[in-house]
Amino acid sequence: MKVAVGEAIPPFRMERVTPERMRTVAAIFRDPTPIHWDRDVTRALGFDGRLLNQTPLNMAYVINMLMAWAGPTCVRRIRAAFPQPVLEGDSVTAHGEVAAVSVHDGGTLAVCDVWLERQDGVRNLVGRAWVALPADTD
Amino acid sequence: METSPPRSESSMAALVGHRFPGGTYRIEHWENFLFSEATGIDTPADGIAHPAHLFHVAINGVGTSITEIFDLVGSGDGSPVSIDYYDWQIHQPLREDVTYVLRGGITAFERSARDGSPIRDSFTYEIQIDDPSALRVADVAFRWHHWRPAEEATR
Repeated sequence: MKVAVGEAIPPFRMERVTPERMRTVAAIFRDPTPIHWDRDVTRALGFDGRLLNQTPLNMAYVINMLMAWAGPTCVRRIRAAFPQPVLEGDSVTAHGEVAAVSVHDGGTLAVCDVWLERQDGVRNLVGRAWVALPADTD
Repeated sequence: METSPPRSESSMAALVGHRFPGGTYRIEHWENFLFSEATGIDTPADGIAHPAHLFHVAINGVGTSITEIFDLVGSGDGSPVSIDYYDWQIHQPLREDVTYVLRGGITAFERSARDGSPIRDSFTYEIQIDDPSALRVADVAFRWHHWRPAEEATR
């Protein structure tokens, strides 16, 4: 797989963030934090009763984009910050762009700027991912 | 009635070096299936687990929980917590039905306080994940901001 600096990674879109998915993840995580399931709490926090998506789920959307691009075991490192929450009902899209390419241990590593963008253009996640690219088969 | 632990800067700084109990975690197929579905994709093939499992595998597998961490650093009273960053280094793919061994603890603390503003206590947590043969699978780091009322600065 050959990539060039500046190349865009095909985006991954989560059409609608739902409370059902948050509840599933809260149960798997054993995460009792009420912002993921209690509308009274999120109302009191100023989010108009909309539930807040788990940040590892936001991270997962970016990882889904990377796995679709370079394979299910491609992610070597990912570092991300979360400047804004993703809320129930949001539509978010993961984006990425190749920032650097290097060769390590005979394999090719792409360093990528990654971000998650809400429908109104607000970025909910910004970060960097180190992605092992599959070897060419031709 | 439970009370929050003291949250003076020195008591918080003393938590650096705290080690979690350590433990093991095995990702079952059902949770990989449900979690992958919740992220919007099919379960990865060939027993590969979704990499974003790292968050809960790290915390639950190292023998603690989000609730226990919040209690430990004085956020168990519901005071706000926000995330600075996650940094996950993945040396080997996560897989279903492998019993991972986990160790880790609190590695850094920083208090930021400005006059009249809430105090921000930032803790860095680092957890190492090995496979049963002691091969390093992942290094998971995360830094959370734990917010305190401004008046605590004078305690």
